[in-house]
Amino acid sequence: MKAWAALLVALVAAGYAWQSHRAAVRRLQAQLLQAAPDAVIRRSDLVKAAVTEATPLYARYCAACHGDHMQGNTALGAPDLTDSHWLYGSGSVYDIERTVLYGIRSGNPRARNVTDMPAFGLTGMLKPGEIRELVEYLLMLDHRPYDGQAALAGRALYLSKGNCFDCHGTDALGNTDYGAPDLTADVWNSGGDPGTLYQSIYSGRHRVMPAWRGTLTLEQIRALSVYIYAVSHRLTLH
Amino acid sequence: MPSATDLPSTRRPGLQALRRRLAQTPGSLALPAAAALAGLLLAGVGLVRRPPPPIQSIPPGYAALVNGKSILMSDYMAQTMEVTGASYDDVSPAVRAKVLRDMINEELLVQRGVVLDLPETTTEVRDVMVAAVNTQVAQPVLAEPVSDEQLKAWYTAHRNAYTTEGAMDVTDLVLHVGGYENANQTIAQAETDASEAAYQLRSGADLRYIMDHFGFVDSHRTSGLELDFGAKIHLGAQLFNLASTMQDGQVSDPVTEPDGLHVLIMNHRDTPRPAAFDAVRNKVYQDYRDARRQRADQQNIALLRRDARILIAPGLRE
Repeated sequence: MKAWAALLVALVAAGYAWQSHRAAVRRLQAQLLQAAPDAVIRRSDLVKAAVTEATPLYARYCAACHGDHMQGNTALGAPDLTDSHWLYGSGSVYDIERTVLYGIRSGNPRARNVTDMPAFGLTGMLKPGEIRELVEYLLMLDHRPYDGQAALAGRALYLSKGNCFDCHGTDALGNTDYGAPDLTADVWNSGGDPGTLYQSIYSGRHRVMPAWRGTLTLEQIRALSVYIYAVSHRLTLH
Repeated sequence: MPSATDLPSTRRPGLQALRRRLAQTPGSLALPAAAALAGLLLAGVGLVRRPPPPIQSIPPGYAALVNGKSILMSDYMAQTMEVTGASYDDVSPAVRAKVLRDMINEELLVQRGVVLDLPETTTEVRDVMVAAVNTQVAQPVLAEPVSDEQLKAWYTAHRNAYTTEGAMDVTDLVLHVGGYENANQTIAQAETDASEAAYQLRSGADLRYIMDHFGFVDSHRTSGLELDFGAKIHLGAQLFNLASTMQDGQVSDPVTEPDGLHVLIMNHRDTPRPAAFDAVRNKVYQDYRDARRQRADQQNIALLRRDARILIAPGLRE
């Protein structure tokens, strides 16, 4: 009889502990959304809760394109999320969250969709030789071995006929309003070898990221955004 | 009257046994009756009970709920920054309040529009909705890479669509029927005169003589050598289509237009020629992508139709 009583007490205690834990998790999840996006990162308990919740979500919804470790996938043009380079915005939780909510060229009216990379070669705007000169200029910007004469011609094209400066800037530092990458950072979403650079200019790029609003809850999207922020900013979790 | 035990033998044995037991057990209807009563009571309580009170607090992550429709905090922040051009933290509370008020007003108007069934009745709303759906469908299609080989195959398959722009130098004579110069002329007379004028022009008669004799004037719709697109705008579709088939020195048959009878004289014609692939790359690229987009639209429509229940009135067909 005593054994049964002890078992009952143990079960009740375990149930209570479980409920208390669930209530604490729910409280943290609510606070995760109540806080301003970029205020979350100042609270390690919220960051920790977000990372715990977002890890399986990332594996399920994001890893297929961005890789198991957020390292990106050049074949799909999915950016590396672990570095400090961002196509859109400054990499704040708010900016990441906007992208996760509405996607990139997803068709959602609120998606990030100012422009895309035109197909300069396919449309005949630039000739193959001119594209090769532009590639040499990009190699020069990245401090890689390059052909000086071709790079010089490439720079002229960059600033004139190619119209590259219009999105990427005269200094080639990119424009995060347009999603135009920094060409001096040696970070290439679709690959940075000369052949791939040539292909990017020749055929253009029109990458798409889905909008996750509707599929994921707001709280899951916030958790994912904080998780990505934590990984890219090397936040230490205590 | 047959009892439960007299049920036809086609019934299932289990059901028969149950009915037999119910028939043999005194008070066997008490339990189902009690259950039915309890069900009725519950339903009655549900009918008279007050509805749950409306949500009084805003769930986290939302800036406002308007008749239950949400305005996301993230959208509110984005709107504030877009309106002010400043970071959200730098915007004053008064401006933030105005932005929120405007967003709530907009939401109310949208909800009113739905109540008024605007998507059903307003062409502009329907156009925007159709375009939005088509845009959504097109995005993954546009993300697919395009190669030179695909473009060349498209160009080869649609070679007739890719030609150089033609040009023409055409004189357009017009005979204003019943006009000042020909006040007493009937249409039949004018047609006869115009046919005679065309015949004489083909026979080498002097243009000035023909104009003076039959009362033709130059319409001045064209002047000198014009590219086809310009000539089409100036001449109008009917006369341009006729002119584009004519060769140097040719005189057309009379053509009736609202302002009178026209006779065209082709002074010089540069006919459109097939354009080389490299000369029309951009157009081929755009056409190829448009075709992909249209195919995606059609597939989407086919999918929607497959899942839709469409009834059409007798005597009508699509």
